[in-house]
Amino acid sequence: MPATIDEYLHTEHFPHIWCPGCGLGTVTGSFLRAALELGLKKEETVVVGGIGCSSRAVGYLDFSTVHSIHGRALAFATGIKMAHPQFTVIVLTGDGDGAAIGGNHLIHACRRNIDITCILFNNRIYGMTGGQLSPQMGEGGMATTAPYGHEEPAFDLCRLTEAAGATYVARGTAYGPRELQRLIKGGITHKGFSFIEAVTQCPTEFGKRNAPKGAIAMLEDMKARAINAKKAAALPPEELVDRIITGVLHEETGRPEFAQNYTDMLTRVRNTE
Amino acid sequence: MELWHSHILRETIDQDSLLVQGNRACALGALDSGVRFFAGYPITPSSEIMETMARELPLVGGVFLQMEDEIASICACIGASLTGEVAMTATSGPGFSLMQEAIGYAAVAEAPLVVVDVMRMGPSTGRPTTPSQGDVMQARWGTHGDHPAIVLAASNVADMYRLTMAAVRFAQRFRTPVTLLADEVVGHMRESFAPELVGRYRLTSGDFDFTEGYLRPDMVREVHPPHTLGRKGHPHVTGLIHDDTGFPTNDPKKSEQFLLQLHDKVVHHRDELCLYDVKNEGKGRVCIVAYGSCARSARAALKLAKEEGLPVEVLHLYTLFPLPVEIIQAVARRCEFILIPELNLGQYAREVRKMAENWTTVISMGKIDGTLITPREILDRLEELIGKYESI
Amino acid sequence: MTDAQAQTDGMVIASDAGKPLAERHFLEVRFGGSGGQGVILMGVILAVAATRDHRYVVQTQSYGPEARGGYSRSDVIIARNPVDYPQLTGIDLLVALSAEAAQKYTGFVRSHGVFIFDSGVLATPPRITADTYGVPFAKLALEATGRAQTANILTLGAVVGLTGIISPDSLEKAVLSMVPKGTEEMNQAAMRRGLELDGEEWRVR
Repeated sequence: MPATIDEYLHTEHFPHIWCPGCGLGTVTGSFLRAALELGLKKEETVVVGGIGCSSRAVGYLDFSTVHSIHGRALAFATGIKMAHPQFTVIVLTGDGDGAAIGGNHLIHACRRNIDITCILFNNRIYGMTGGQLSPQMGEGGMATTAPYGHEEPAFDLCRLTEAAGATYVARGTAYGPRELQRLIKGGITHKGFSFIEAVTQCPTEFGKRNAPKGAIAMLEDMKARAINAKKAAALPPEELVDRIITGVLHEETGRPEFAQNYTDMLTRVRNTE
Repeated sequence: MELWHSHILRETIDQDSLLVQGNRACALGALDSGVRFFAGYPITPSSEIMETMARELPLVGGVFLQMEDEIASICACIGASLTGEVAMTATSGPGFSLMQEAIGYAAVAEAPLVVVDVMRMGPSTGRPTTPSQGDVMQARWGTHGDHPAIVLAASNVADMYRLTMAAVRFAQRFRTPVTLLADEVVGHMRESFAPELVGRYRLTSGDFDFTEGYLRPDMVREVHPPHTLGRKGHPHVTGLIHDDTGFPTNDPKKSEQFLLQLHDKVVHHRDELCLYDVKNEGKGRVCIVAYGSCARSARAALKLAKEEGLPVEVLHLYTLFPLPVEIIQAVARRCEFILIPELNLGQYAREVRKMAENWTTVISMGKIDGTLITPREILDRLEELIGKYESI
Repeated sequence: MTDAQAQTDGMVIASDAGKPLAERHFLEVRFGGSGGQGVILMGVILAVAATRDHRYVVQTQSYGPEARGGYSRSDVIIARNPVDYPQLTGIDLLVALSAEAAQKYTGFVRSHGVFIFDSGVLATPPRITADTYGVPFAKLALEATGRAQTANILTLGAVVGLTGIISPDSLEKAVLSMVPKGTEEMNQAAMRRGLELDGEEWRVR
């Protein structure tokens, strides 16, 4: 059993590719501390990433790791989980990877309620390709592909995944890594599809064109806007505009999990044959 | 070991009849060669493959998934393949187009995978219920970058069974995606066929024996050792160019080495991979080189030609890629003409021309109206060619 | 297959020339009708029955996108040797269940062939040199089983009864294995009624 999170890391591949001030490492740290608390076994834990800055995390993790193709991490993960339901399957994805190109796979994974934990790193920008807009950017955001300000609203990914059938939905921020660790741990132990939105900062590409600028200012903004779901429940909607509601937003245990359901079907079918 | 097809034949169709649909024979071949994971998306004219897998896989404890699209289907298959499962998907042109990026991933990640493409007339939606061979070059070069490709072509119901088995074996042995091409006629036709007699259909090739059932573990060697997820060593798998550790590299030398090995592991085993059959060998001035349903037209045309005393031979290719260079060149050296009937505008003829034009004249006979090339149409062409030869 | 090819293009085996269908080594059969009539199923049942008689068989089909209505055809090649070209190059036996099918396909019927049509939907068939039979299949089916839907199985019985291209025993086994559970007896009755038809009674001259 690893004693520190370093044992879950391929430190020989450091330095990592993330920029100074980036929040992706913070979120990855929260995931690793959750993994450490749970004592996840390296062999039986499969971590799947897509393409983008956040998905590069899998290249530094010493689990069974798959760096898949853009948007398709959940489809790969579905195959892995169904072939080997005993594996703990984690998907690390970004807002472009998970909500744009991979949006269809996201809602269908929710619908199936397959026992996968999906951590979506939301920094509202395409960092790796140089600052293009993401569907999570929201109106007014500036990007290389929104030079006059973006005209489209963002998804509320937590409400989207809840409506699509995810049975554990949570949101945390890079400002609150301990809360995020707790939320991720809750997601991994939950049997069913768990979706954790990790709000994080990209000072290099997002901060270059949007306020506030710089990692510290972005984190402070995150702190100011974050509000726990319980507190938020007591406030009228107009006071929640632009707030980041954190915590476990939705949890249900009654719905059957897909891999288990499939295994039960196999038993039933083979017994009647 | 009881092969699964016997179970299905007993259970689902008239037990004394051996009438099997092409798509169904493909599914039977998959089950008999150990495929235990199938993810797909419905599309005409391939859907009967997935319908058969949906019904049969649970009975052998396998996994069947109907995914949200073809991209998800092939990606789920690759995921399963990376854990050591024998995985397959099936589709037709539009779905095959969607799968291309992932086929490249499977090639780079060296994930064994079988993709069946039951071709229909394209491009785009085209004509879904008419046959075509328009996807031949897509099967070779559909995904971006230099990569190996093993592409087989089925011409009848027996082929759908045995070439599916071959595809599974090749995929496992060479740890790469293998495409099996069929067309609407081959997929949907029902034909008398006895799976237990496949040995009689032995093809000319190394030591390939279609009568063998499941994979032998000792066959899975010679190429990169598999990185199996969930096993010791907890590997890293990536679509980035990587070195032997599995981790990305930007080193020019290592990058070249990696890509060359992907290429060589397939091309250097042509003797094992190239399945073919020659009729009337050495007796033709014209050789008809054909594959898929056109090979049946060619065989029928050969019978008509023999009646007319025309010197013709037929090279029936079951493996389109890797290119059967030596086999084509041997034919090119002994025949004045090579005639290639195919249901496209000469996709494979161009490949043959590259290999053969130093020795012979390669003539493309393409047809793209959605009907098969008839034996009479081939015969007319043969008469014309041989007449031309006589007049020289 | 085009009109021009119909008479010339062929896998016709010389020794088959002029022989009754039942004695031929290579036989091309087409069922034509509209969607929902069970045309494809008829081809499949005939094909299954022929494999029971140890023939080499290829069955292909063509149909429009509609589940009901539209055109539908089902082709069967029955041979004593392996079949190369899988589609028809001419027709030795045409079974037409709609006026459109009769119009569309009679031109491909070879001389010394057989043409069977549903006289309930087609009063005056195209005149061709083939042996021609007109039978009101739906009416006979209704009389025999009380269900017009059994017309396709009755037709199959008639095809086998009038031509002898496969054994009645193989047809019966194929029918029983292919029709929905619970309808076996009814379909058996329909098939037998078809098998009993007297060729001279229904021949069109």
